[in-house]
Amino acid sequence: MTSVFKGRRSLIQGAGLVAMAASSPLLVRRALAAEPIKIGIPCALTGSLAVVAEQTKRTATLFAKQMNAAGGINGRPIELIIEDTGGNPATCVRKVQQMVERDGCRIFTGITFSSETLAVMPRLAEWDSIYVACGNGDASMTADAFVPNFFRGNPSGPTEARLLSLYIKDSGLKKFYAIGMDYSWGHSTVAAFEQEMKRNNIEFVGKVFAPTGTRDFSSYITKIRQSGADGLMMVQSGDDANAFMTQAAQYRLGDKVKMFTTLIELSTIKAVGEASKGVIGTMRYMSTYDDPVNKTFVDMFTKEIKETPDWNDGEQWKALQFIATAIKKANTTKSTDLIKALDGMELDTVKGKASFRACDHQSMEDGFVVQVDKVGNALLPVLVKKYPAEQITPACLKKTFDS
Amino acid sequence: METFSFILIQLLNALSQASLLFFLGSGLALIFGIMRVVNFSHGALYMLGAYIGYTVARLTGSVWLAMLIAPLLVGLLGLLFEMGFLRHLYKRDEDAFLLVTFGLTLVLAELTRLTWGAPPLQVLLPTGLTDVVFILDEPMPVYRLFLIAAGTISSLLIWQFLERTRLGLLIRATSQNAQMVHALGADINLIRSGVFALGCGLAALGGVLAAPSLTASLGMSSAVIDAFVIVIIGGMGSFLGAILGSLIVACVQTFGNFFFPDFALVFLYALMLGVLIIRPGGLLGKEV
Repeated sequence: MTSVFKGRRSLIQGAGLVAMAASSPLLVRRALAAEPIKIGIPCALTGSLAVVAEQTKRTATLFAKQMNAAGGINGRPIELIIEDTGGNPATCVRKVQQMVERDGCRIFTGITFSSETLAVMPRLAEWDSIYVACGNGDASMTADAFVPNFFRGNPSGPTEARLLSLYIKDSGLKKFYAIGMDYSWGHSTVAAFEQEMKRNNIEFVGKVFAPTGTRDFSSYITKIRQSGADGLMMVQSGDDANAFMTQAAQYRLGDKVKMFTTLIELSTIKAVGEASKGVIGTMRYMSTYDDPVNKTFVDMFTKEIKETPDWNDGEQWKALQFIATAIKKANTTKSTDLIKALDGMELDTVKGKASFRACDHQSMEDGFVVQVDKVGNALLPVLVKKYPAEQITPACLKKTFDS
Repeated sequence: METFSFILIQLLNALSQASLLFFLGSGLALIFGIMRVVNFSHGALYMLGAYIGYTVARLTGSVWLAMLIAPLLVGLLGLLFEMGFLRHLYKRDEDAFLLVTFGLTLVLAELTRLTWGAPPLQVLLPTGLTDVVFILDEPMPVYRLFLIAAGTISSLLIWQFLERTRLGLLIRATSQNAQMVHALGADINLIRSGVFALGCGLAALGGVLAAPSLTASLGMSSAVIDAFVIVIIGGMGSFLGAILGSLIVACVQTFGNFFFPDFALVFLYALMLGVLIIRPGGLLGKEV
């Protein structure tokens, strides 16, 4: 009997101790640690932009590792759910829905293609979720397709076009030629560029569109040489950009025209080597940017991944910085609270100061014009001119910049 | 630019492109002519040539060595593939070849991705060929002139080999009547293996020659479409047809891209369609 009595007494004492302990902050944190913060990353790990999606994957994994090693966000560890969408909008929607229903995930980032993001956006409210983009340039996301659960943490396509045209205006070049890939992106970007050139009273002497997958650019190069242009705008990506730049260098085209491109990527510089030297373009993020936050990031990144971070590594890191800060500030993962936290939030990021403006959730940040140059033994994009956000970002809920 | 110098430069551009197309198309034509095998994996072998070339150039520091070793290795792979798979299918109908060579394309593409990774890789110009020469004040890369020479010499050598040697005679005979050649005591299995290996090696040589102007990339395997266009225009199974097809395709691309850039692709396929309607066997092919 005594033993039972003793046992019961100790049981009550024990319960009391647990109740006391539960009210102490340390134990609360430990108890909640069992419930991780889930971040969903449905990205195109296969397909033509696999290189970009790989960057998202490695950077997000590194971010989660670093945060969790430092105790997580408000004591809760980050759990990433990374899945391949193949770049297909329908697959992307299905994957997000699965993550919402199966995993209870409510926070998303890192979708690779704009077309995928546009398919996901109308469903975000219904899923009670938020999405923070880091590489989606389509203009309509912060205009007619805008939804409050969406945030764009990267500059839009028109922002980049505006940025480059401002730089060209200051460059003193007189005659421009453009070569683009023969599909919607190539045509619309060249058209926007042509309009900007005309507005700046720079003569636009011609344009040509090469079919996707063109291997021999020799006659296009002859055409450009014949046009008498002193500047060339290249709207190309992937294999086409590599082939054109390599062959342009073989024909010494750079001696005759100054070469510009809408987007500079480290993978292109690596693939074409010296042929990319001197090319000027915009870049969403470059590792050589002189900024203390960036320096810490680049040092840590190169130590852990053993590679120089490319543009999407920097952009993905920044998006996750915003997400983590919002969760910390709101102390919840509820979408309505996170939206409130992100609205107008300003952070010191790897690209300098950036903030989400409340009206269309577009990130306001400086725009970079870079030139490929030798840095030590490596060819890297180096900043040549910086433009403030106000000068390059379209007005609230507008697609283009009208001065 | 004056008209004469313009035409000369464009002609040289077209000839250098024709040389690259020749390596791609002639292998396909030979394989089809001798073996009746439509080799879908031809583009993948071309791509593999570029990647192996990249590795050899990196390890040895010599692109010249890469141009030797890559075709040999890919030729050897072709030999093993013929002996391991194709040889057992000659009695089946032609669909079997389509499936098995298409399968090889998928396997090679995935293996290449696993071995070399997704990003494209830089292959430098071979030493001694990095300069430009000025022809009537217009720059022409020395490498392009080298390609023209390589294409011309290779095509002459292979043509003479097929026309003048005993082995060439056996190969031509096999393409016309394999059973008869077999009955006369020649080892047609050996001939088929050899021709398949040669065709694969030629594709790989094309790949490694193209790589300094393209970078080695996974997208190269789509070159199989160009190869088919050449063979369809030139003539299924005709070696000379492959030479003619390469020249026509290169000229249509080079001059078409210059004068009618919006229609260059259309011209090419319209030409192919025209040939198919008027001479279904191709310009120098046998009527089928």
